Amino acid sequence: MEKTIKRYFPLFMLPTMLAFVVGFLAPFAYGVFLSFCKFTTVTNWKWVGFSNYLKMFSKGADVDVFVHALWYTSLFTVVTVLIINVAAFAIAMVLTKGIRGTNLFRTAFFLPNLIGGIVLSYVWLMLFNSVLQNYHMTITSTPWSAFWGMVVVVSWQQIGYMMIIYIAGIQNIPGEMIEAAKIDGANSHQMLRYITIPTLAPTSTICTFLTLTNGFKLFDQNLALTGGSPNRMSELLALNIFQTMYGMQGWQGVGQAKAVLFFLLVAAIALVQNKISRSREV
Amino acid sequence: MKKFLSIAMSAAMVASMMTTAAVADEADDFDPGTGKVYYLNFKPEVDQQWQDLAAAYTEEYGVEVNVLTAASGEYETTLQSEMAKSNAPTIFNCGNTSGAETWDDYTYDLTGTWLDEHSANKEFNVSYNGKLSSVAYCYESFGIIYNKTILEGYCGMDNAVVSSIDEINSFDKLLEVATDINSRIDEINDELGTELTEAFVGSGLDSGNSWRYSGHLANMPLYYEFVDDGIDPVTDGEATIKGTYLDNFRKVWDMYVDTSAADKATLDSGTLSAADEFGLGEAVFYQNGDWEYSTLMNEDNGYDLTADDLGMMPIYFGVDDENEGLCSGTENCWAINAKASEEDIQSSLAFLQWVVSSDEGRKVTNEDMGLTMNFDTYTGDFASVNPFGAAAQELVAEGKTAVGWAFNATPNVDTWRQGVVDALIAYTANGQTDEDWDGVVSAFVDGWNEQWELAHAE
Repeated sequence: MEKTIKRYFPLFMLPTMLAFVVGFLAPFAYGVFLSFCKFTTVTNWKWVGFSNYLKMFSKGADVDVFVHALWYTSLFTVVTVLIINVAAFAIAMVLTKGIRGTNLFRTAFFLPNLIGGIVLSYVWLMLFNSVLQNYHMTITSTPWSAFWGMVVVVSWQQIGYMMIIYIAGIQNIPGEMIEAAKIDGANSHQMLRYITIPTLAPTSTICTFLTLTNGFKLFDQNLALTGGSPNRMSELLALNIFQTMYGMQGWQGVGQAKAVLFFLLVAAIALVQNKISRSREV
Repeated sequence: MKKFLSIAMSAAMVASMMTTAAVADEADDFDPGTGKVYYLNFKPEVDQQWQDLAAAYTEEYGVEVNVLTAASGEYETTLQSEMAKSNAPTIFNCGNTSGAETWDDYTYDLTGTWLDEHSANKEFNVSYNGKLSSVAYCYESFGIIYNKTILEGYCGMDNAVVSSIDEINSFDKLLEVATDINSRIDEINDELGTELTEAFVGSGLDSGNSWRYSGHLANMPLYYEFVDDGIDPVTDGEATIKGTYLDNFRKVWDMYVDTSAADKATLDSGTLSAADEFGLGEAVFYQNGDWEYSTLMNEDNGYDLTADDLGMMPIYFGVDDENEGLCSGTENCWAINAKASEEDIQSSLAFLQWVVSSDEGRKVTNEDMGLTMNFDTYTGDFASVNPFGAAAQELVAEGKTAVGWAFNATPNVDTWRQGVVDALIAYTANGQTDEDWDGVVSAFVDGWNEQWELAHAE
C-alpha cells in the first residue's frame, strides 16, 4: 500500500503543483526579477540592477510617507491582532457553553466574512460618515479617525472567522481532561488558566498567524475606506506600494522593489511569530 | 498530417475569399481589414454606446471589435495590466505629452493616416519623439454651468444685483450675484416658485468629485502662470512653478463653499451629489464641463431640465475677465498600439475611420454620446448638439480666448492632485484661515516641483 502511494504520489501531486507553480511561484519569481528592472508593462522591461532599491530611499517626501506607512501598518497590525483574537476567543467561549441559539449566533458572527472587502468598506464608509457628519467630521478627518475606522471594519470582518477556528479548538479539548480537572476541584478561572488556554495554543498559533499577515497585507479596506487620506497619512504598506506603482510615472520598478522588501518583512515577522507561539504549544 | 494540412489550407482559402467578398460589398474604397480590434475605452459614461457601435460594426463588416471600459479613475491601472497581455488593446487613450512619454514604445505613428488628415483642430493632437502619438477625437469645454431659467428669473426681480445674465462678466460680479442669491433663498423661492437651497452646488472633495477642483479649477492659476512665463500653456509645463495666482484660486474656492449649503467640515464624505443638486433645481451654479450634458438631460435621473435651461460661463478668475472664454481642451485622444500585428493596426484604423465618417457612427458620437467631435466630417446634420459646446464656440467667435488645459502637464497627476485635495479639505474644514491656506499653497507649489522632479528623474 505504502509503496503504491509512493509510486503514484507525483501523479496526484501534479495538478496542485502545476497550479502552484503557474499561479504562485512563477509570478513571484518574475516579480522579484522585475524589481531589478525599469518597466511600463510587465512584458516591456529594461534591466537596471539595484537602482530601484536605492531610489526607494533617495527622495525626501516619499520616504517620509513610506516610513510612516511602515510604522502605521505595524501599529495597525498589533492592534487588530489583539482585538480580533481576544474578542474571537471570548465569543468562542460563550458559544461553546450550549446556550440557546448558538448556531444562529455563530452564523451571524461569521457572515461579514462572506462580503468582499471593497463592498464592505463602502457600506461602512457611509455608516461612519453619516454619523460623524453630526459632529462635523468625516472618517478621514485625522489619521487616527481613519486608523480606528479601519480597525473597526477589519475586526468586524475577521472576528467571526477566527471565532470558528477557536470553537473548533475548544471542542477538541478532551472531555476526560476537563472531567479530571473538575474532580480535582478546579474552579472556572483555573480551568481557563490551566486547561483551556494551554490546550488551545496550536489554535492561537494559527489565528495569530492569520491575523498578523492579514493586518500587514491589508489593502481593499484601506483603499475603499480612506484611500490614504488625509494627506497619505492613513496609507498602509500595501496601498503605499500600489500608489508608487500606479501613481508615479516611471516608478513601477520602485513599487516592485518595495513589494519585495515588504514580502521579506512579512515573511520574517511571520516566521518569528510562528517560532514563538509554537514553543508555547503543549 | 497531410490531411490536416489540406484542411487548414482550404479553411484559410475560404476565409480569405469571405473577407474579399465583404470588402467587395462596400461601394467606396473603405477596407475594414482582416485583423481584430480591441478598444480600451476611457469614458465610462458612454460605455453602452461604444458596445453598440462595436456590435453594429461587427455585424456589417465581420470584423471582431471588443470594447472594454475602465472604471472611473482606473484607466492607467487597467491599461498597464491589459497592455501586458498577449491580447492587448489595439486602440487606447493617450491624452497628453506625459502619457505619450510613458507609452512611447506603444504608440504607433499616426502621421498621414486618414485620422490625421481629417482631424479638425490639430492643436489637440499629441506629438512626442517625432511621432504623432495620438489624435484627439473630441474636445471638451468646462466652465460654470448655470441654470438659465432660474438665473433669468432672478435677474427679473426688483432688487437683484444684475438685471441680465450678460452683466455677469467678471469674478466680482459673479461673487456678488452668488452671495446675493444665497442670502435670499427663501425670498427667491417664494417669488419664482423654485426649490433653491443654495447658489453653488456642494463642492465635494471625495475621490469622485475632487478632480473638478484639483484638476479643473487648478487649471486657471496654472494657465495664467504659464502664459506669463511665455511657454505653451498646454503642452510644455514647467519644472518649477511659483503659484502666482493662487490668491485668485482661493477667492474662487471661497465663493464656491461660502455660497453653498454643504457642510464645510465634511466635504469629503462622499454624500454630496452635485449633479443631483443642480439637476433638481436646488442650485444655480455648478462648475463642470460639457460632458455633464448627457447626465443632466437623462430623464432617468429624475431631472426636469431641458437644453434651454442650460448655459455655461467662463470661470471668471479676476485676472483677465474681459477676454476669458471657456476652458477647452481634451484628454480624449486615440492612440494605436504599435506592438499589435499589422492587420490589427489596419483594422483598428479602419474601425475608427468608420466611427467618425459613417452616418451611424457620427450620429451615435454626436447625439447619443453628446461629444463635440474633432473631425472635419462633423458638419451639417452632424454639427454639435451640445449647448455647452456651442457656448464655447460662441465665446471664441466673440473674440474671447479659449483657456487651454494647462493641467495636462501635471506631473504624477493623481499623487499631486491628492495632495492639493487633502490640503483643501483641511483648509475648508478648519475655518479657511490664512495658516491653512499656506498648506494648500505648499501642496500646490512644492508638491508640483517635487513631483516634477520625481517624474522626470532618470
